[in-house]
Amino acid sequence: MDAAETPDGPETAAHDGGRPAWQHRLLAGGEEPDPRFTLANERTFLAWVRTALALLAGGVAVEAFTGALFAPPVRVVLSTVLLVLAALLALGAGARWLRVERAMRRGRPLPLPLIVPVLAGGVVLAVVVLLAAVVLPRG
Amino acid sequence: MRLHHDPGLQPERTVMSWGCTVLALGVLSLTFLRWWPAVGAWAFGPAVVAAVGGAAVLATQRRRYVAHADGIAREQARPALASVACMVALVVGLAGLGITATLLHAA
Repeated sequence: MDAAETPDGPETAAHDGGRPAWQHRLLAGGEEPDPRFTLANERTFLAWVRTALALLAGGVAVEAFTGALFAPPVRVVLSTVLLVLAALLALGAGARWLRVERAMRRGRPLPLPLIVPVLAGGVVLAVVVLLAAVVLPRG
Repeated sequence: MRLHHDPGLQPERTVMSWGCTVLALGVLSLTFLRWWPAVGAWAFGPAVVAAVGGAAVLATQRRRYVAHADGIAREQARPALASVACMVALVVGLAGLGITATLLHAA
């Protein structure tokens, strides 16, 4: 295989780093960072995506497997919270990947991971719904 | 393919990280399939989408490793913008289909 060909498409040598024009616009400015840092940023993004996929599977599992445990409204709320959280995490992970890539290129401090409070808040909300569903019927 | 000189094995770790993500997509696909008897096509569709997404990642794994090893050797890696954008779109799309199926199932 041609070493210049990547999963992100064939290179166009006319642009900085051989990038297509749209990628050049998104990443313009600064200097090429150490390639190890670029790969580390990619792995961190993938870790967030796997977290989002786990939440997605959890949301589907709540609907598919807990029919005998929870009333339909509880299942719908819990499942929807988890699925919405998964979508938000995936979007946040993509935005964070881009912001970190830009910060590295410009030699700036890396941005704070704002998806951490999103994840924490979403999980707390799901747990509150779950506790309410388990405890309230017994009270 | 150029041989890289990174003792931290970054290309291999990154490709394996994509592989782990494919496994997560596989689990998600099977979870959607388990929901099939209750919601029908609204579960089968996302299951197929997740499986096809995982297969697409698997099909590009060798190219990905070659590109990463080449990037380390040249000291200039290309950020995987298209792959990242596709993965975000895939997860958001699957979540949207899941929410739709949940609401239809409840109605």
